[in-house]
Amino acid sequence: MRGIDSNETDFLPPDVAFRVAARIDGNVVKVRWVIADGYYLYRQKIEVRAESPDLVLSAPSLPPGTVKTDPYLGTQQVYFQQVEGLVPYSRIDAGAHPMQIKVTYQGCAEAGLCYPPITKVVFPTVGSPAVVTSVPPPRWESIAIIAGACAFLLAGLVLRKGRKLELPA
Amino acid sequence: MKTPGLRYLGAALIVLLGIWAGLKFRSVHRVPEPGVPVAAGLASAPDPNENVAIETASHPVIPARLPDFSLNDLSGKPTSIAAWTGKSLVINFWATWCAPCRREIPLLKALAADWAGRDLMVVGIAVDYPDKVRQFAGQLKIDYPVLIGEQDALDVAAKFGMDAPVFPFTVFTDRRGEVVALFVGELHRPQADFILSEVQNLNQERIQLPEARRAIAAGLAVMAGKNAG
Repeated sequence: MRGIDSNETDFLPPDVAFRVAARIDGNVVKVRWVIADGYYLYRQKIEVRAESPDLVLSAPSLPPGTVKTDPYLGTQQVYFQQVEGLVPYSRIDAGAHPMQIKVTYQGCAEAGLCYPPITKVVFPTVGSPAVVTSVPPPRWESIAIIAGACAFLLAGLVLRKGRKLELPA
Repeated sequence: MKTPGLRYLGAALIVLLGIWAGLKFRSVHRVPEPGVPVAAGLASAPDPNENVAIETASHPVIPARLPDFSLNDLSGKPTSIAAWTGKSLVINFWATWCAPCRREIPLLKALAADWAGRDLMVVGIAVDYPDKVRQFAGQLKIDYPVLIGEQDALDVAAKFGMDAPVFPFTVFTDRRGEVVALFVGELHRPQADFILSEVQNLNQERIQLPEARRAIAAGLAVMAGKNAG
């Protein structure tokens, strides 16, 4: 129970369940979603639009998904684990402005809950591997441990400096 | 004696400073890591010993009591949740695009029928476009009250601590308007019956609220464990 007890069926924040990134490869923007285990994205709910005014995007090309049949929503294609969409582009001002795209996607957890459509502005990177916009956090716990360890060593050095070796008479 | 004493003191200060710096970094920069589930989910309720809003470290505030709100019903008439004051409520937040929400509807209809005349109401809150909701409610012959809203319904969800909601989620209150449980995800019959049995125990004053909440948390955890297994 939230607030007083933990429970067995937790769910991820949307930016953790579905991480999106984009990179420029030639005249194509590659938009990639990394999907957490037990979660999925609906193929037909994925949209990619130009956000910067000089940018013209073609319709995204998406691979076939896994067919999922629901008694109410019918047969739909969904993606598990990850998916990459290819979006051909052209630019009116030859790249004078940073490229920005707006991506919309919607997904659910197989545990039986769904997220409302998510819209994000993404800055595609050039040439390098896609960087997930929801940057995985640094391991601050590690920093805490290292800081503590360094302080401990420093303290040891301070103590050692004033200590003299006492030999038996 | 003075010099070694100062050294010990200095060493202790350095160690404490290091630990403080580490913890400070950790508390300032702590964010959920990918793959680590947030401690939220199946069912929620505020601290049973307090009757005020409670804030947890990584979650929004969940009210201890049913908040006041008003939304349009299927016919467009503004309807306050206070219309059902004195009844236990099963308030189900849903949307037409949400498959698990749709799957829940037959269960909610069954609950409404089973508990009819026993001071318990099922109320749906559709966070969606009114036309779609009316069409869907007609198709599925939803016979319990449904309130509809877009941003205003999202605002209501936020009053239950669901600022960035997932759907469906269901709030259970007792007849005094105390929030007994908030269940996130698709509700199934065993869980609904179990929570409602505790709500009934509360209403008949066989148990107290803290006891009911503990029993619900423990029972749902056992059920979730069984499902996982």
